[in-house]
Order: sequence, then structure tokens, then C-alpha cells
Amino acid sequence: MDNLDAARLQMAFTLIFHIVFACIGMVMPFFMVIAHKKWLKTKDPIYLKLTKSWQKGVAIFFVVGAVSGTALSFELGLLWPEFMKHAGPIIGMPFSLEGAAFFVEAVALGFYLYGWDKIPEKFHWFTGVIVGISGVASGILVVSANGWMNAPSGFDYVNGEFLNINPVQALLNPAWFTQALHMTLAAFTATGFAVAGIHAYQIYKKRQVDLHKKAFKIAITFGAIAAILQPISGDLSAKDIAQRQPVKLAAMEAHYETTKGAPLYIGGIVDEENKKVSYKIEIPKALSFLAFGDFNAEVKGLNDFPEDVLPSVSIVHYAFQIMVGLGTLLMLTGILFFISLKKRTWWQNNTFWLLFTLLAPMGFIALEAGWMVTEVGRQPWIIHNIMKTKDAVTPMPGMVYSFYMYVILYGVLTVAVTWLMTRQIKSLNQSKLA
Amino acid sequence: MLNIVLFFLVTSLVLYVVLAGADFGAGIVELFSTERSQLLTKKTIYRVMGPVWEANHIWIIILVVVLWVGFPNFYNVLVVYLHIPLTLVLLGITMRGVAFVFRHYDAYKDKSQILYDWMFRISSLITPIFLGMTAGSMLSGRLIITDNYEAYSFSEVFINPWLNGFSILVGLFFASLCTFLTSILLIGETDASNRKIYIRKSKYATITVITMGFVVLCYGFIYEVTFITDFIKSPYTVGFVILSALLIFPLLQSIKHAKKVLSRTLAGLQVILILFAAMSAHFPNLIIASNIEMNLIETAAPSHVINVLGITLIIGGLIILPGLFHLLKSFKMIKVLER
Repeated sequence: MDNLDAARLQMAFTLIFHIVFACIGMVMPFFMVIAHKKWLKTKDPIYLKLTKSWQKGVAIFFVVGAVSGTALSFELGLLWPEFMKHAGPIIGMPFSLEGAAFFVEAVALGFYLYGWDKIPEKFHWFTGVIVGISGVASGILVVSANGWMNAPSGFDYVNGEFLNINPVQALLNPAWFTQALHMTLAAFTATGFAVAGIHAYQIYKKRQVDLHKKAFKIAITFGAIAAILQPISGDLSAKDIAQRQPVKLAAMEAHYETTKGAPLYIGGIVDEENKKVSYKIEIPKALSFLAFGDFNAEVKGLNDFPEDVLPSVSIVHYAFQIMVGLGTLLMLTGILFFISLKKRTWWQNNTFWLLFTLLAPMGFIALEAGWMVTEVGRQPWIIHNIMKTKDAVTPMPGMVYSFYMYVILYGVLTVAVTWLMTRQIKSLNQSKLA
Repeated sequence: MLNIVLFFLVTSLVLYVVLAGADFGAGIVELFSTERSQLLTKKTIYRVMGPVWEANHIWIIILVVVLWVGFPNFYNVLVVYLHIPLTLVLLGITMRGVAFVFRHYDAYKDKSQILYDWMFRISSLITPIFLGMTAGSMLSGRLIITDNYEAYSFSEVFINPWLNGFSILVGLFFASLCTFLTSILLIGETDASNRKIYIRKSKYATITVITMGFVVLCYGFIYEVTFITDFIKSPYTVGFVILSALLIFPLLQSIKHAKKVLSRTLAGLQVILILFAAMSAHFPNLIIASNIEMNLIETAAPSHVINVLGITLIIGGLIILPGLFHLLKSFKMIKVLER
């Protein structure tokens, strides 16, 4: 494995890990404050129990998210020093604001976790809300920095130098809104379905059914609403990419020949050598319509781009299929959930709970696949059309050992956190309430 | 505006060293305790540090972001040449943070606690050592800054600059400084019957810090580390050092009489004086490599970037500081000081 591949794998691996924790850490506080609000309103002790147990989850995920985020803030420079040297001053603004938001989050979390019976009830609850809001703000700001890598703006690139830097324009780069919207909804979908799935499993196993049903309802409501809204945001993203990164769009769709009225491929096996896609389902003219809102629009194919700017078509295409497929599945089950509110007999049926249990990891798989589309699809560029990833990597040899270290570290952490969560649930089920 | 950015840079450095330093020290104090006082220390630091430790560690993120945005070439040298010690610092920070929450949030308090405890204590010791080593290497005069990596061996460029006597001593010095801060902090956080334990620890820690500081100076002097020879010559540095030396006597007195507020203030002041002495010795040339000295100010980003960064920091500061102050106050960190 050469240095570049090792560095890319390490970055991918740490991001895959961090994203899960960051998302849960930013979305779960919302579940927690809803349960807390219901406790304050109804004084039903189940809600208090639930709030406190979710709060422990938030604390654990927040810390793991925070430390892996700290590691990432260093890794950007450690792995890609050439990138940070030039991009640092330009995209510093989202990162410094993110630092502030993260700080607010940590302060608010300090109040929330340690404030029970010590600070006024309403203020205590409100600090929980601040945890959630500042978490989402952090997420949006970081995604904006990533948006800049896809849509570099806020500088003039003259003879290899970055001149006339405008950090505000870089923050508000053309990709920030569509990406941030898509990611925020994805975070709510993934976390909503994951948390709901865990509680659905407990109901399926007939443990503390009353409590877990309340928990399920709060989590899935967030997840389902986000999942239903996601296709709208996905459509905005697709149209945006068609304009700004046509090669990424072509890779997502494994679209080789430039055509007017281009068909949309669903699934299929990509043969990169012969530039063909076999066993696909073809919907005539749909790609032109989805990308440009016109059934006869021309969509540029991969063959019309120089070889050296093509990303790995198969990875991008497969990841995109996984994301869209699972996203659609979650949207449909989201609708199913809202129907189930009218047909309460479904809640007596164990198949219903089994369904949601099986869906638990799907949101996160879709989310990770989505990030693969955007990150692998941007290759070979680290800054689209400006700097190549291979020119940004650290000159220090032996990155493969660093990669192995992170694999072991985060592998162990994943196992540890999973184990800790099962212990939380076990202890919750053994408790006397309900 | 550059001055404002520098102010935030120095402030976050000072706050990181004092606050996170006290936090690292907590694990070290626990490591060097008898079994009975280990449990006491564990409980006390959870109560004292629990609400604030995450906020304490964010200063390093602010520090890193200010460096990469405002002083990109300076930051570039750190991340390229000190890649290995910084990675080890990250490993330590990760293990430490995780162990801290695991031991307090695990639903069952069983044997796994032993593992969390040891993870917490050991990573609390090694993280500041590697942090100190990183800082020491910046000033060790052994970094080789080059574009021609072929001309040197891997260890010449990526290992020797940080794995050497001077850097290791600076690492140990920083770890003892952390221990010093925490043991003094803990005097005021425990009840009268246990106070003696921390008074004793504080005395030992004070003596260790002074000894380690002296050893670093002697080593640097004997091996002619440029930073140390300049350190001794600079009138400001000598002034700061004399002042901190003089303050040791009232500090020892206030420790002896268990005066919480005074000993905390003096301990914090000691650390700040040491930091200022170190920085003023060679400011703004804060990287002393074997072939070049790097001036922090000269690596500053274009003025427009610095302006925006300055404004962002001011806004951020206005949002954060009241909240942070209120947090510290609510959980009695400041109430003790007010008394």
C-alpha cells in the first residue's frame, strides 16, 4: 500500500467512525429534551427514567465524538499538510465558528448532565435544547467546509497561488446549503431509525414494553419526518451536482456516453475496463429530467472527460445505489409509521417491531454510502479542479502503520461502546419502574 | 487585528495549559496515590472536573484552528515534522476521554472499572509528556526543515527531533507541572480530614516541578540548546523566572496553611509565568530548527484573513465566555475563589 492510499484509507476510516458518533451526539439530545419535556409536563416517572438513560447515551457518544473530532482536526493537517497550508486560511471561518459552537455545546452539556436538582428546572431543560442546537450548528459548519472542497470559492487562483482570499464567500460556497441540508436530514433519519430500532428490539423481546414504546415513538417521529423530507433535498443536491461536478454525477449514474434524453440506471454491474454497465434497470430519459428538469437535456458522459480526472466509477455508482435504495426504504417505512398511528393494532403485531429492528442500521449505512459518493466522487481532487489529493499528502513515509493504529484503536472503541450500550439497556430493563 | 489574533492564541494556550493541565494532573495524582486515596481522588476529580473537563480540552482545538487559519506555514511545519508525537498525543487524548466517561457512565460498576481506571491514569501521564515533548522539539534546535527528503534518513527528519534528551525532559517537566496544578486544586476540594493528603502531595509536586525545571535548564545549558542559552540571556525571561522563584515561598506557606484561594492563584500564576518566560525568550521565533528559525508573525496569513479571524474570535469569545464563566461558577469552581 503506498503512502497516499494509506493516508486516504486512514482519513476514510476515521471519518466513517466519527460521523456515526457525531450524528448521534447531535441528534440524540433532541430525543432527550422531548422526553424531559414530557416528564416535566406529565410527571410520569417513565419519562424521567428515559431521559436519564438517553442522557447517558448522549454523554458517551458526545465524548467519543468529541475526541475523534479532536483527532480529526489534527489529522487534516497531519495527513494533508499541503492542503491545509493553502486551504486553512480560506476555510478557517467555518472551523473557527464550529469551534465556538462546539464549545457552547460542551458548556451546555456540562450544565445539563450535572445540573439535575441543582439549577432551576426550566433553565436546566433549556440547556439540553442548546446542546442539540449547537450540535446541529457544528455539523452544518463542518459540512460547509467540505462543501468548499467540492465548490471552491472565495479566492482567485493565479499561477498556483491562492490570492484575494474572502473567508465569508468561502463559507457560503455554492455547495454549502444543499450539502448541509442533506446531511442534517440524514443525521436525523439515521439516528432516529437507529435509536427506534434498538427500542423496537426490546419491545419485540417483550422487555419493559411501556417504556420502550414511548422511547420508540419519540425517536421514530424525528427519523420518519426527516426520511420523508430527504428526497426533496436529494433532488436539490442532484441538480446542483449536475451543474458543478458533472463528472461526479456521471460516476454516480455510471453514465459513459454523452446523450440527450439520458436514461437512469438502477443497480447494474459496472465494468470499468470496457466502460459498460450490465444487468441494470433502465428508465428512459429519467436522468436528464432528474439532473436538469428537462427530459431531453444533454447529460455529459464519463467518456468525454479526460482519464486522469475520473473517480472510481464502480465505488461511486454502487455507493449511490445503496444510499438511494436504503433512503427510499426508510422513507416508505417512515410513512408506514405514520399510518400505524391510526391503526394501533399494528403495534400489537410483533412483525411490526421486527421490521423496525431490522431497519436500525440502515440509516447509517445509507449515510456512510452517501459520504462515499461525495468524497470518492470528488477524487482525484482534494479541492475540486484546483489541487489533487496526491499533491496534498504528507511527505512522511510509513503512513500505513498510522492507518493500522487507527484501525485497532477505533475498532476497539466501537466494540467497547457497543458493549457499554448493551449494558445500559440491560440495566434499564432490570430497573423496577414500569 | 494581528494583535487580537495573537492575544487569542496566547490566551487559549495559557488556558489549555492551566485547565487541561490540571485535568491531566488529576490522572497523574491518582496514579501516584495509595489505594485508599486513589478512590478519594477519583471521587473528588469527578465532582470537580466532571462538568468542565470537556470544555477544558476545547482550548486545544481553538489553538489548532487559530494556528492553521492565521499562521498556515508555521502550522505546516508542526504537522509535517512532529507527526509522530502529535499522533501519540491524540492517542492519549482519545484513551483518556473515553476512559473518563466509561468509568462514570457504565451502567454497572464491576471489574471493568479497574481497566477504565488504569486506562485513565496511564493516558493522563503519557499525554502531557508527549505534549511537552512536542513543545520541546519545536525549540530543541534539532528539527530539519527541508524539501529534499531524499537527503536525510527517516529518523533524522521524523524521529530524532522529538526523541531526544531535551524534548523528553521538557515532556517530564510539563507532566510534573500538571501534577502540581491538580494537587493544589484538590486541597480546596476535599474535607478537612483528607486535606493533609493533598497538602503533602502538593509539597512533593512543587519540589518535583522546581527540580525538573532546573534539570531542563542544566541539560540545555550543558548541551548548548540555543533556546536555553537564549533563555538565560534574555532579561525578560530572567525577570519572569526570578518572580516565579520568589512566589514559591508564599506558595509553600499557603499550601502549608491550606489557603485554597491563595494557593490556587499562586499556582496558576506560576504556570503562566513559566509559559511567558519560555515564550518571551525567543518570541516571535517559536520554531528553532537546526537550519532555520521560524518567525510566527512572518508566517501570518494575508491581512484580510487575519481580520476575519479576529472578528470571528471576538464574536465566538462573546458567546462562549459568559456561558463558561457561568458553568464554572455554578459548579463552585469560582465560588471557592470568591470566598
